[in-house]
Amino acid sequence: MTNPRTIIEIRDGKKVFGSFTALTDINLSIRQGEILTLLGPSGCGKTTLMRLIAGFETLTSGAISIDGSDCAGTPPERRPVNMVFQRYALFPHLDVFENVAFGLKVKGMPKAEVKERVSRMLQIVQLDNFANRYIDEISGGQSQRVALARALVNGPKVLLLDEPLAALDLKIRQHMLAEMKRIHTETGATFVYVTHDQDEAMILSDRVVLMEKGRIVQIDRPEDMYARPKSLFAAKFLGETNLFDATVSAVNGIGTTAVTPAGIRFIGAETADRQPSERITVSIRPESLSFQDGEAATQSAEGTVEDVVFIGSRSFYTVRLDDQSPVRIQVQRNGRLALPSIGDRTRVYWDSANVVMLPHS
Amino acid sequence: MLLRIIVWAILAFLLVPLLIIILFSFHASPALSFPFAGFSLRWYEELFGNAQLASAVIKSLTIALLTALVTLLLGATASLAWLRFGRAGRGMIEALTVTPIALPGLFVGVSLLVLFAQSGTQLSTATIVIAHVVIAIPILIVAMKARLALFDPSLEEAARDLGASQMQTFARVTLPLIAPTLIASAILAFAVSFDEFVVTSFVAGTETTLPMYIWSMMRRTVTPLVNAISTLALFFSIAILVASWLIGQARRRSAIAGRLEQLEPLP
Ligand SMILES: Nc1ncnc2c1ncn2[C@@H]1O[C@H](COP(=O)(O)OP(=O)(O)OP(=O)(O)O)[C@@H](O)[C@H]1O
Ligand SMILES: [Mg+2]
Repeated sequence: MTNPRTIIEIRDGKKVFGSFTALTDINLSIRQGEILTLLGPSGCGKTTLMRLIAGFETLTSGAISIDGSDCAGTPPERRPVNMVFQRYALFPHLDVFENVAFGLKVKGMPKAEVKERVSRMLQIVQLDNFANRYIDEISGGQSQRVALARALVNGPKVLLLDEPLAALDLKIRQHMLAEMKRIHTETGATFVYVTHDQDEAMILSDRVVLMEKGRIVQIDRPEDMYARPKSLFAAKFLGETNLFDATVSAVNGIGTTAVTPAGIRFIGAETADRQPSERITVSIRPESLSFQDGEAATQSAEGTVEDVVFIGSRSFYTVRLDDQSPVRIQVQRNGRLALPSIGDRTRVYWDSANVVMLPHS
Repeated sequence: MLLRIIVWAILAFLLVPLLIIILFSFHASPALSFPFAGFSLRWYEELFGNAQLASAVIKSLTIALLTALVTLLLGATASLAWLRFGRAGRGMIEALTVTPIALPGLFVGVSLLVLFAQSGTQLSTATIVIAHVVIAIPILIVAMKARLALFDPSLEEAARDLGASQMQTFARVTLPLIAPTLIASAILAFAVSFDEFVVTSFVAGTETTLPMYIWSMMRRTVTPLVNAISTLALFFSIAILVASWLIGQARRRSAIAGRLEQLEPLP
């Protein structure tokens, strides 16, 4: 992505329902062609943000511009965005073809062109054999693809998808995720994708917008958000992690040192904004802990192995450190290395590059 | 066992008079008692030759049709308002429109009569239609409410999102989806109007509807003609019921079916 163009820009967005502030301090630039996911727990305002972009709600204050022009007062039918609703909202009185053709027909496109475009779109979503079925005659996964086709056939600049896979079971969901990526590549549209499933967000997105209680807490590439969460909330929301309360004991050019009440020392590579004697929370992912003192793994703590779970090629260990805090460790099984068993005393190592220091909650 | 006997007794109590009326409408003699003196269509012949009766039937049909049309228009408007309004608005519509169901016909009749008299309105077919609409609207709203509650408002949003104006959304999505409900409700209004008697008798003036004609006929003597009329009315009602049932079958892809279908895949 070289010099990506901004397609949607939200400045100081705020939305209040009655006395309830659903969204506040929303600043977001959506880039042309990207898949951006809005991720966050239920009720954090994802759907509301999407409905604001689609034009079903109006901002209490702030501004949204689509493709460079402010869209306050523009009704939904005149915005170059289309939405895939969480429950699809397909028209039950129309068949698959007519559902997909709906947008083109209301715009007054000639019949022949409608037919051609709809047929091509049905091919893309692989539903060309279902054109004459009614909505109550197709499966959940097919409904989802009809919804996708019905939106995409209009050639929207931005496609808004509100938890499009939530109603599907796990297997179809994984299949549809791959479909979604393929269709994204094929159409080149910008996707704004709402989910509260972190795996979907990780698999699909170019960037993730993490939301909490009506605010955006972090915008990052998925791998960066996972590796470098900026808050305890982000660290806990994405993936699994081990957390330690600690106090900063030293800040110098190399990094920050923090010590837990029981005396475990963490040295983090970052130096930003930390003050000595500040209380922080240290986060280390299970896969960043190991039983081997590698070249870089310079820090360690002792404990007793409490539990082991094998999942295919990986093993999850629970080790109770000497300060009584349990830590989860994920190791890749490898014949050459001896791994401890339940009850063994062992030493757990980690590397300062993987120590994430977060503001104390 | 006892229960079964009771059920049969109740059914007999309800059905035997009907069967007797039907039977005697084909009676060859004017006597309304057994022994049965053989079958004949003479009462039906007499009915069809009766000009007064024919005009009463036509009057009732006209009134019922007009009532159904006006109720349909008002009902469609009310149901759109219903779809737009929130909980509070719906409560208000309901309070305003449904209350007349609970009012005695006598009260509705007298108050309409007073209203027409005060405003100097001539009693005519029009006043009867107005009265019937007043009676039918609440029934229509009650019948529609349950179905409209299942209408998925996101269908309208989807239409707008796809580029349809408000008018296009109404014509292409909302109306087709609520049409079966509206038509079934209009048929109900027709049926209510066709045999309304109490309120009609207050506001009819010099007009004579079918129920009023039958009533006046019976006031003189109970003739077997009444049996024939009642039998015809019965089959007419059954036909209307069947018609609205058939429309109910066609409702398959309407608002309700769609909603149920969409709710299904959710856990
Ligand atoms: N029209 C409304 N009136 C009042 N409150 C509303 C309205 N719409 C949304 N809210 C409130 O705003 C908050 C955010 O709602 P929203 O639907 O955006 O959440 P969400 O992040 O999409 O959640 P979910 O993951 O459950 O779909 C919720 O607390 C909700 O109750
Ligand atoms: Mg939502």
